[in-house]
Amino acid sequence: MSSLTCTNLTIFTLTGVLIQIIGLSLFVFGFFPVKPALSGFSGPEAFRAPRSDSVQNHSMALPPPDKLRSLYQELSGLPPFDKLILMVIDGLPAEFVLGKDGNPPRRELVEAMPYTQSLLANGMAIGYHAKAAPPTVTMPRLKAMVSGAIGGFLDVAFNFNTQALLDDNLIDQFFKIGWKMVMLGDETWLKLFPGLFKRHDGVSSFFVKDTIQVDQNVSRHLPDELSRYDWDLMILHYLGLDHVGHIGGRNSVLMAPKLMEMDEVVKMIHTNRILNQMNNHGRTLLVVVSDHGMTENGNHGGSSYEETDSLALFIGLNDVSRFESFSQKTVDQVDIAPTLALLFSLPIPKNNVGILIPETFGHLADDQKLRALELNSWQLLRLLQAQLPGLSCEGFPYHESIDKTSGISKCNGSLETKFCCLYTTAEFLHNSWMSKDVSRFNHGDEYNIAVGAYNEFLRIASEWLARRATDKPFNLLGFGVAAMVLSCVILLSLLCLMCKEVYGRERKYVSNFESNIMHAWHLDEAFAIGVIFILVVSMGSSSMVEEEQYIWHFVSSTLLLLLLRKSAQYLQVERAQNIFNLFSGKNKYIGFQTLSIVLLLISGRILRGWHQGGVNWRDLPDISKWLEQAGGDHLLKALQLVAGLLFITLSLVSLSVFDLNRKSVAVIGFCFLTPGLLVLQHIMKHQDSMFAPSSYTATMLVQIIYTVLGFATLGITVALPWLSSCLNSKSFSNRFSYESASGPDELCYKPLLVEFRNCSFVIGWAYICSWCLLQLLLQQPINSMPILLLFLQVLVGMLYCFHSGEDNKLWVEVAVFYYMGMAGHYALGNSNSLATIDVAGAFIGISSHSTILSGILMFMITYASPMLAALSMVMYISIKSCNYIALPINMDSKLLLKKLLGFPCLLLLSLNSILLVSYTIVLILMRNHLFVWSVFSPKYLYVCAATVCVYIGVSIVATTVIYTYLVLSFKRTMQGFGSSATTKDKE
Amino acid sequence: MVVMVEERNLAMENQKPKPAIVNTSPPQSPSPSTSEIALVHLICAIGIAISISLTKYLHFITLISHPSQTLLLIWVIQCPIVIILYSRFRQNRQQCSFFRAVLRGIVGIFAGALVNAFVAIALGAPIGEKYISKTVNWSIMMSLFTVVPAASVFGSSWTDWQRIFANTKPVGPIDYMICLPAHGAVIGAWFGAWPMPLDWERPWQEWPICVSYGAISGYLIGMAASFLFVLVRCTLHHTKTD
Repeated sequence: MSSLTCTNLTIFTLTGVLIQIIGLSLFVFGFFPVKPALSGFSGPEAFRAPRSDSVQNHSMALPPPDKLRSLYQELSGLPPFDKLILMVIDGLPAEFVLGKDGNPPRRELVEAMPYTQSLLANGMAIGYHAKAAPPTVTMPRLKAMVSGAIGGFLDVAFNFNTQALLDDNLIDQFFKIGWKMVMLGDETWLKLFPGLFKRHDGVSSFFVKDTIQVDQNVSRHLPDELSRYDWDLMILHYLGLDHVGHIGGRNSVLMAPKLMEMDEVVKMIHTNRILNQMNNHGRTLLVVVSDHGMTENGNHGGSSYEETDSLALFIGLNDVSRFESFSQKTVDQVDIAPTLALLFSLPIPKNNVGILIPETFGHLADDQKLRALELNSWQLLRLLQAQLPGLSCEGFPYHESIDKTSGISKCNGSLETKFCCLYTTAEFLHNSWMSKDVSRFNHGDEYNIAVGAYNEFLRIASEWLARRATDKPFNLLGFGVAAMVLSCVILLSLLCLMCKEVYGRERKYVSNFESNIMHAWHLDEAFAIGVIFILVVSMGSSSMVEEEQYIWHFVSSTLLLLLLRKSAQYLQVERAQNIFNLFSGKNKYIGFQTLSIVLLLISGRILRGWHQGGVNWRDLPDISKWLEQAGGDHLLKALQLVAGLLFITLSLVSLSVFDLNRKSVAVIGFCFLTPGLLVLQHIMKHQDSMFAPSSYTATMLVQIIYTVLGFATLGITVALPWLSSCLNSKSFSNRFSYESASGPDELCYKPLLVEFRNCSFVIGWAYICSWCLLQLLLQQPINSMPILLLFLQVLVGMLYCFHSGEDNKLWVEVAVFYYMGMAGHYALGNSNSLATIDVAGAFIGISSHSTILSGILMFMITYASPMLAALSMVMYISIKSCNYIALPINMDSKLLLKKLLGFPCLLLLSLNSILLVSYTIVLILMRNHLFVWSVFSPKYLYVCAATVCVYIGVSIVATTVIYTYLVLSFKRTMQGFGSSATTKDKE
Repeated sequence: MVVMVEERNLAMENQKPKPAIVNTSPPQSPSPSTSEIALVHLICAIGIAISISLTKYLHFITLISHPSQTLLLIWVIQCPIVIILYSRFRQNRQQCSFFRAVLRGIVGIFAGALVNAFVAIALGAPIGEKYISKTVNWSIMMSLFTVVPAASVFGSSWTDWQRIFANTKPVGPIDYMICLPAHGAVIGAWFGAWPMPLDWERPWQEWPICVSYGAISGYLIGMAASFLFVLVRCTLHHTKTD
């Protein structure tokens, strides 16, 4: 076996990581397609039957807008509406307006919207539950509504980075026919359609805590706009309701007033515009939609019924037949696009997969209804032809076997045949009905049959196309998976090599230890590996993915219990003694180990009880719910302050117990006391105003905290290795000057190790403290105690590792930290659904909208705990190097560093890569599973983000430790302490 | 901390706590015969069976419908059986009377219940008013499976406890009788907890029903295994001596 040099190790690890990154990105782009199917905009050809040769000459210049408008009207043969008001109420669940399962909504909600409810009751409005496709966040939903296409899953990643919509869509079509458009509300619209609006007043969804101003900014223009007639389309996008949800959930006290405000808007528009249509300004249609619903807690993003249950309300369609007011009519959100296009005689957007909503065409004559269905069928057929290049329905053998009474022909065979059969049947029935049009009597049956045939074709084609949106290029996926597997193998074999080499060589050095213990296969080691298998197996089950927090807590606690059992193995009590003198004499270390594991178990259990995460058991009581019920805001604030104070005390104590120079400790402690006190001040002053928009001073204060923390941490990291000598306490310098008599080798080596230990301890401490302080600032108030507990866990874990010495293998302890970090991730209220990401926190301390900054903050909030575990590795390395200071024999410093740094980094990378690879394979296997978009895909995004988190953590740890070591050894060399030190320089 | 580092260094150099080496001195109690072991295990198993059927046919309750009452009945019936049976195999017969061993067993019930409850709660058992009686009854039952036999036999002798529970290195038939059923019960309970978070919506997914099922089946398997082990060892021993 060739020896693994440090350079080789670094190179191989970097290669492995690089291959993994490439593989992961290939896979992600293969699995989550982002491309549209058809480019360009549909024009007049949309009103002609599709030709199979489909050589559409795009070069044909479009007539000027006014001509185009009348051309479309003439071609479509449908009487269009003249003006459209599209009112988007962000995050309004249809349940609030239409009820659920045929029952009316809750009383207070009905009372909050008296006008809308009366419209529904009188049949002047038609309401639908419009099922939104996941991810239920604003931008993809807006795109779906205006283009009728189902976007890729990755759109969610771009939610904060809205870019102009380039695909065919309604707004562009309106613009092409010369409509004047006004947009008031969410500025997402302005980003999607830059330059298309004649007037606009964009508001930002940036100040999530503002629920009043954000809507007033929209409504204040309304009286003016409603009195003007120079626009054709007005978009109103109200964000307030979504903000209310984010702050207080569905049952927030602010919900009813907000609904009342929305009702007022509906009333104003209806009385002003729709009831008053006599003034020859044409007919106005008011469409009230919501982009998505919300969960009980007011979050959204996933695919639960509560989140996808969005509203589509059509007001102003005259002659609406009496309609059940609390009906459960369910349509798809994408159906809004073709419906609006046909109601306004526009070509349906090219990539639309929706089908028109039949009841909205109730005011049309029968032939016009059939014409609308025909236009929709042509559009879908074009899209089908683009997806299935061989599809040609010309000269398709017309089925004689059409059952004249039911109109359902037996269409079987290949996909192409099936679609053509369905389409030609509908077309034939339509034509035959048209030819008999003269004799209008006895047409009811044939008309219904034709409608049925069209609907059949539309339904099947739409379903197939919607499913088709998730097709995968298998070459890309295969290549990506292969690369990931390769990198996983590389990392694992590196780890194995290191294990063999380090422990193999150590046998020689530490022969005075019990050698059989070093090599026996301990239960805790077996279990630490077994955990991986448990996780991999459990990932295959959707309910286990939903409830992953239980697994992490269960396995990490079990591992801790096994470690407890292991320390009991080392405990020695004379036969005469009883079990209770644990803390005396040589058993002291065992006593500390036991104590710290018990502390870890207790704090872990409290953390686990803090948030009842997951999906199925969310409603069970937990500590956070209890606290919110018990005391509300004041209690929370008090708790946050207590957590902050305890945190500061604990961190200062933990710094001072370590064997360091008092003065330096005081200086460093002071450096961190300042931001700590600032954070406390921020909590005192600004956290209480939950509903108020964050003020300028608060933002300033937070920015100051960011700066101070950043400078303190960076400064200590960079400067400390150079100033390391001032960290040494007197006792140590005495000790080592005494020991230096033993030999020149030791003289230069041991002090180096001591300085390394001191430096890395302080730097590691600084990392952990600043990270936790940041989290105290960013996390929701309810999470401040868990942050304190996580900090405590890290410190107690360090205490355990300090006392465990060489009892455990390094990788077991690192794995424990990793597992505890993951358990903590779920303890902070995270889950594998996108809905639990804390969006509100991502804007703390940012003064202008920046996608990157708020993205980073969101990442930091979500991955608080795994990152803490990764950062704690610096301190861990320092703690572990203590063991070697004490060793009487002299270890090779190269080997030491390789062991101390290599194990944590490689282990984190390999653990993560195993999970990543196995989960990728699970995702491929589950690609046709019912829950692939709702359960497995969000989980995969979390896995990817966790991978990024590990990369960042490991690179910070590795850079810090190597930098410290290099600076220290450089200093040694400069001081001329024995020339032999230069040979030990590494990396 | 300075002192601690120094002390630790000393310990590293000289007195590193060594894992206890298996106590090679034979247990001072008379070795029970194979048939005796079989009888003990059989009586324990019958005790459990009787208590479960009693609840079912006399009180018309099951573990699923009334977990805490059923568990109560199990441990009430099991308690005298286990303590009396295992007290017969007590160590140091000269210094320890039968009643002393029984007393140790009774103390062991509560100590073991505390440990079991702590472990269960640390692993995620729910805390709350409605769970208290279930947890108490479950942990007393677990205590009877795991700690009580050892308490009756060994008392407070740490080396024996360490050999059985920390190192899992039983020597001799009594060790097997204590060690394997106890480990079986713990491992069974651990695996029994796995279905709990799943969304199957079965009534037995509640704490502590499936955990108790797991523990009981693990206990039974452990007893069978211990009997087999002793049997195999005996035959081997006999063939060797022959």
